[in-house]
Amino acid sequence: MTMDRLIVFAILVLVAAALSGPRLPRVWLALTLAGTAAFLGAALWALGGGTEWDWRSGFALGNERVHLRLDAVSAWFLALVAVVGGAGAVYARGYWPDRERPESAGRGRGWWSTLILCLGLVLLCANGLHFLMAWEAFALSAYFLITLERERRETRAAGWLYLAASHAGTLGLFAFFSLLAARTGSWELGPMRDHPELAPLFWVALFGFGVKAGLFPLHIWLPSAHANAPSHVSAIMSGVAIKMGLYGLIRFSGWLPMPAGAGWAVLALGAASAVLGAAFALAQNDLKRLLAYCSVENMGVILIGWGAGLLGAANGDTAWGRLAMAGALLHVWNHGLFKSLLFFGAGSVLHATGTREMSRMGGLWRALPWTAGLFAFGSVAISALPPLNGFVSEWLVYLGLLEAAAGHAPVAVATLPATIALGVTGALALAAFVKAATVVFLGAPRTQTAAHAHECGWWMRAPMLGLAAACTLVALAPAAVWPLLQQPLAAWNSAWLGGEPPAPLATLGPVQLALAVVVAATAVALWLRTRTNGLRRALTWDCGYAAPTARMQYTGGSFAALAVGWFAWVLRPQRQLRWPRGTFPRRADHVERIPETVLERAIGPVSNVVMSASAWVRRRQQGHLPDYILYLVAGLAAVGGLVVLGSVR
Amino acid sequence: MISILEFLARLAVWLVLAPLLPGIINKVKAWVAGRRGPPVLQLYYDLARLWRKGVVLSTLASPGFIAGPAVAWVAVLAAALLLPLGPLGTSLSFRGDVILLVYLLALARFCTAWAALETGSAFEGMGAAREVSYAVLAEAAVITAVLTLSLQTRSVSLSAMLAPSAGTGAVLLAVGLFTVLLAENCRVPFDDPNTHLELTMIHAVLVLDHSGPPLAAILHGAAMKLLLFSVLLVQAVLPVGELPLVAAAGALIGGVLVVTVAVGLVESFLARYAFRRVPLLLTTAFLLCVFALLIAWKGGAA
Repeated sequence: MTMDRLIVFAILVLVAAALSGPRLPRVWLALTLAGTAAFLGAALWALGGGTEWDWRSGFALGNERVHLRLDAVSAWFLALVAVVGGAGAVYARGYWPDRERPESAGRGRGWWSTLILCLGLVLLCANGLHFLMAWEAFALSAYFLITLERERRETRAAGWLYLAASHAGTLGLFAFFSLLAARTGSWELGPMRDHPELAPLFWVALFGFGVKAGLFPLHIWLPSAHANAPSHVSAIMSGVAIKMGLYGLIRFSGWLPMPAGAGWAVLALGAASAVLGAAFALAQNDLKRLLAYCSVENMGVILIGWGAGLLGAANGDTAWGRLAMAGALLHVWNHGLFKSLLFFGAGSVLHATGTREMSRMGGLWRALPWTAGLFAFGSVAISALPPLNGFVSEWLVYLGLLEAAAGHAPVAVATLPATIALGVTGALALAAFVKAATVVFLGAPRTQTAAHAHECGWWMRAPMLGLAAACTLVALAPAAVWPLLQQPLAAWNSAWLGGEPPAPLATLGPVQLALAVVVAATAVALWLRTRTNGLRRALTWDCGYAAPTARMQYTGGSFAALAVGWFAWVLRPQRQLRWPRGTFPRRADHVERIPETVLERAIGPVSNVVMSASAWVRRRQQGHLPDYILYLVAGLAAVGGLVVLGSVR
Repeated sequence: MISILEFLARLAVWLVLAPLLPGIINKVKAWVAGRRGPPVLQLYYDLARLWRKGVVLSTLASPGFIAGPAVAWVAVLAAALLLPLGPLGTSLSFRGDVILLVYLLALARFCTAWAALETGSAFEGMGAAREVSYAVLAEAAVITAVLTLSLQTRSVSLSAMLAPSAGTGAVLLAVGLFTVLLAENCRVPFDDPNTHLELTMIHAVLVLDHSGPPLAAILHGAAMKLLLFSVLLVQAVLPVGELPLVAAAGALIGGVLVVTVAVGLVESFLARYAFRRVPLLLTTAFLLCVFALLIAWKGGAA
């Protein structure tokens, strides 16, 4: 009963928010927060009580009765939608206000509530037809949010690419749901383990949902869309929207019978996304593109956990599979939290400096102490370092993989390389985030804009603090999150129902807490000792160089050069070098660009061929009657030839 | 009560004994070169002096410049405390603690690189870039070694994992881990702790602008890390955990001494590699660990 009310309330309030958004910013904020709070309440209710909510309408939409369901798997994702949706709404008030963006602010508010509503409906719909409708509405509202700043050509291009890629994926989903409906005779969705003939459909779903999830090499739309969207939109796209692809995959891998190779393929995809996503992230010089590629990496990490979960489930519902799957699900939350935090931070930097180019920043910690501290926090969390929350989920995935190895499971042939890939990913991600955080916030300002930056207001600061607090909660009390986490696990695979939290998780929490306390205490102690001994400020020593300039600092490009060299086979960096020549050289420069390899080297050429083929066909369609008569005669001759050939045989 | 005392004793062992190792290495190097060399306890004197010294702070540095070394020091110490000491075991052991150890070392790396980049100096940028880049390859080798041990012993916690098997696998693993030890602790042939040419180094470049107590924390942390890797290496190769207490203590101490002397000898007889060749060497270490992994896998399957 309560659940009914919460969800109906959330839907109605979000509709009202979408309508009020363009005109009434305060009403909109209150309504959106109320709606997200109701969604969060419903999700936590479902997760905490382990109850499933199921509702069928009396009316029909497209000849199908509306069927909404909230079980633990969808509630897990709904909670993330609500948290990031609410935080982003508050952030947008400071980041995209009417007075600075008179043209697009109202539009942005309306679409924001629509997006949250559609995300919620995607999670709630238990009917294939309505799922597709909600999915399409979600894709479209995200498109309008990405292109809020549509006067910029780059933004329009990014929006178009997103729309095209998203529809390519949706095409796959149309195929998936119609085949599903054709085979089962109904659009209703639910467990269908008893139809083994449905197994091959998984591959169609992997493509359709994989595009949205941004898996390598289907991620082509992701970097430009996330980089060019307003930062609060980037946050929800990266933190939540791409998780919808993952939701679809996890959802249907729990309901459908799985083909034999599913786990292996998912592990391989995950390892590729993780390592290459991190390598691409390290190579970027645009702060938001770096964060976007890092999403590809984190989706890879989640896929490694999910793949191990699939393998574990396929091989007798092993305990290690459960651990890895738990890690994957927890990483969904964690990544949503700290990635949104980081995008908010990037937005604050962009707001202050007007550029996303990291080589124009530097030394921002002085002007933006809050943002710097919170970004550093997010960087530690996303690099999966203890004592923060990224470590908890990655550690669970590792633990699952290690136990698979220790148990000498036959599938360890797949999990061993995946473990090594995860290790390499961790080190690469660490390098990428050392680069992102330090090039932006430390050292000397590289340009005048960086020198005159200003801190963001409380509307932007508060959501960041809230997300950091949520991260801390998961980090220091992982055992408290376990009861919630267990519900989607059991809903995904009923063999994993019940059971205590894994013993090491209960140990890890206090260890993380102790570590956090000792770290803080030691830092303070060292600071006090330093101050007692006497502290003097002086120029950076720089091996005795007396006049260092800000331009002599290491840039992001030079920082990443070593590792980029190792991955040059896939990154394909394009360099333009002009050497200093002559006795009095005029100027010299070195420009490096990291292209989006898959898009520019694979998809681009293929679509060029398609375009020129289409152009050729179009030239044959000029409305000349003789041409059409020729086509007719040729066609008739061909058919006649076939008939004659057939009768001869 | 006993457990608290034991924990304190363990803490003291790591804190007090660690700075001996660099002293021994320097003594070995001096002996090979026919010099008298600095006293074995030199690092203790240095640390004591640095702890009392004032600090010159770059005008660009944020509070992270001081916090970085502190966090890194705690991280290394915590990682060391997770490591069992032969039959004494460890004060805290749980499944998956080995991953915590690896990631604590990563946390130390993050903080060291962060503190280095505080100053906006190109030298330190160079050092930090090298540190985090080479760590990618070293991490692959370390994770592979962890997997090997896990396969060999069918366990996922350090206290049970460090029960090595004899044979080819152990030799491969030893050589692989020794190479990682040299890389992670910035010794020759990856790095030269004695050179004064900052351009050619990793670690000394990272800490170029540090002075006073933060530098003391960095140097002590580095010494602890060296001891940590030595103890790990010895226990990954020798069955220290199964010996009686006295023999185990002897084996552990002897093993660590052998590793330390080996580091000194490598440093005396080998020149530092050109930076282009460092990835090659690290990849070799990774491959050695992979072969050890394959042997462990084959052994388990048979």
